[in-house]
Amino acid sequence: MSKNNNSNMRQNGQSARLPRKRFYRARAHSNPLSDSHFPIPISPADVDYSQHYPHFFPSERSDDDNGSVPPTKVRFADIGCGFGGLLVGLSPLFPDILMIGMELRDKVTEYVKERILALRATNPGKYENISVVRTNSMKYIPNYFEKGQLSKMFFLFPDPHFKEKNHRRRVISLQLLDEYAYALEVGGIIYTITDVEELGDWMRSCLEDHPMFKAVPEEELEADPVVKLLSSATEEGQKVARNGGQTFRAVYRRIMLEDG
Amino acid sequence: MEENLIEEGESSREGEVAPALIVIHPRDKSAAVAVGPELRVYDIAGNCPISLSDDSGGPSHSESIRAIGFGANGSVFASAGDDKLVKIWMTDSWHCTKTVYAEKRVSAVAVSHNGQHVVFADKFGLVWAIALGEGDEGQAPIDNKAVPILGHYCSIITSLKFSPDGWFIASADRDFKIRITVFPKRPRKGAHEIQSFCLGHTDFVSCLAFARPIDYPQGFLLSGGGDSTVRLWDFISGRLLHTCDFGAQAGLVKSNGTEMEGGSAVIDVCASCDGSLIAVAIQRLLPWKKVTFPQA
Repeated sequence: MSKNNNSNMRQNGQSARLPRKRFYRARAHSNPLSDSHFPIPISPADVDYSQHYPHFFPSERSDDDNGSVPPTKVRFADIGCGFGGLLVGLSPLFPDILMIGMELRDKVTEYVKERILALRATNPGKYENISVVRTNSMKYIPNYFEKGQLSKMFFLFPDPHFKEKNHRRRVISLQLLDEYAYALEVGGIIYTITDVEELGDWMRSCLEDHPMFKAVPEEELEADPVVKLLSSATEEGQKVARNGGQTFRAVYRRIMLEDG
Repeated sequence: MEENLIEEGESSREGEVAPALIVIHPRDKSAAVAVGPELRVYDIAGNCPISLSDDSGGPSHSESIRAIGFGANGSVFASAGDDKLVKIWMTDSWHCTKTVYAEKRVSAVAVSHNGQHVVFADKFGLVWAIALGEGDEGQAPIDNKAVPILGHYCSIITSLKFSPDGWFIASADRDFKIRITVFPKRPRKGAHEIQSFCLGHTDFVSCLAFARPIDYPQGFLLSGGGDSTVRLWDFISGRLLHTCDFGAQAGLVKSNGTEMEGGSAVIDVCASCDGSLIAVAIQRLLPWKKVTFPQA
């Protein structure tokens, strides 16, 4: 955390040019099973969100307020946020909602960090509600979010892991959905999209089989402004659209587990 | 009742040899001991060894047994380990009635309170359930296969324990995590509802135990780990109530002449029946130590 802080501070004082992707070349895939070394918060209380959203956490004054206002909490999480296109697209739609991107690849995370800082500098008062952390969300979701904290989770164009041996690396699985159901409030929505039909079927069937998720009806999806961003906002989605590819979407709502 | 039974530190020093395991029948009828692939049971009341017999048609344990346990009512006993076998014993006759083949090596077992299910965890971080006796609501007879009910993402699960009321199952892993899951009425459909995560350990979690003080029947959860701490949790909310740090107390031990540099992982913890006393086994430190937590 402290390292991130330093780079934030440095960048705040610097020019506001958008970072260029070509300086942040990264592998397209990352093995979620390997133990990486990055700081992991011990528990959600251990995450200092004031570093991520300084605008929403006015410095020090909170002590005088006797903490009467509960701190704002992150409500949207973009898992595997890549280059951050979705966050940037969502930010102006929900300016009062804190959103976080989670990305495993170090360089990509750095890029998103710089991108957000540059956007904040060139658009004062805007893009204050989005941020990014480098983490393995398949392992550490409970370290970042309390029970029922999130209202939306996004899984856009995740790594397909075609080999059956590697299916357990997929970010959507019946077991991991337990953790996503834990982090989502009842009524919260999980958005998934992919251009790989096999993975689309897999994600849909995992969600379908999980007793704490229920498909969101099509007419609701049409009215949801977020749904349009799934394919248009992200770099991956734009690439698919350029190539005239098909996308496969599964959007499910977190429901109460029925007893028995 | 179990304070004097967890001196595993001694044997675990010998590298590859699995630590000896000892558990006591919940009503003190018998004691089961596992050393390597050997399982022996002693009749405490009758003061004699019990001979085990195997009706399951499956093989006997051939490699180290890593986990043994009684159910809360004592009628069922399970043993499992490196040979990927989960053997289920009826304790009235000490017959093995079922041998289930696991896909991976088994690191933890537990028996549900009603004795209807045996759950075990494998090296891939999956927890499986085996149904005993009648199927769910008298459906077709249950086959011998285990079904996965929950998973810790690719982390070895070190301990599985049912809460005192049997409603929850706690699972601890090497990624510092303790998960409290509602144990469903029909576990074969999966245990999806997470009650809480108990997060606070800064190294692997090695052991779990529930303590049930008379004035707090729901009980508390105790956990120990590689960070030399034993922690007390309100497992319903996941709130950390108390931390007892043995790393800080290691100096006391040093002063009496024994060498002690780092690596004082807590390897086992248990609570007395009334929850007033906690016994802790610490690797390379004192074999066991009495701890009293302030009552919460």
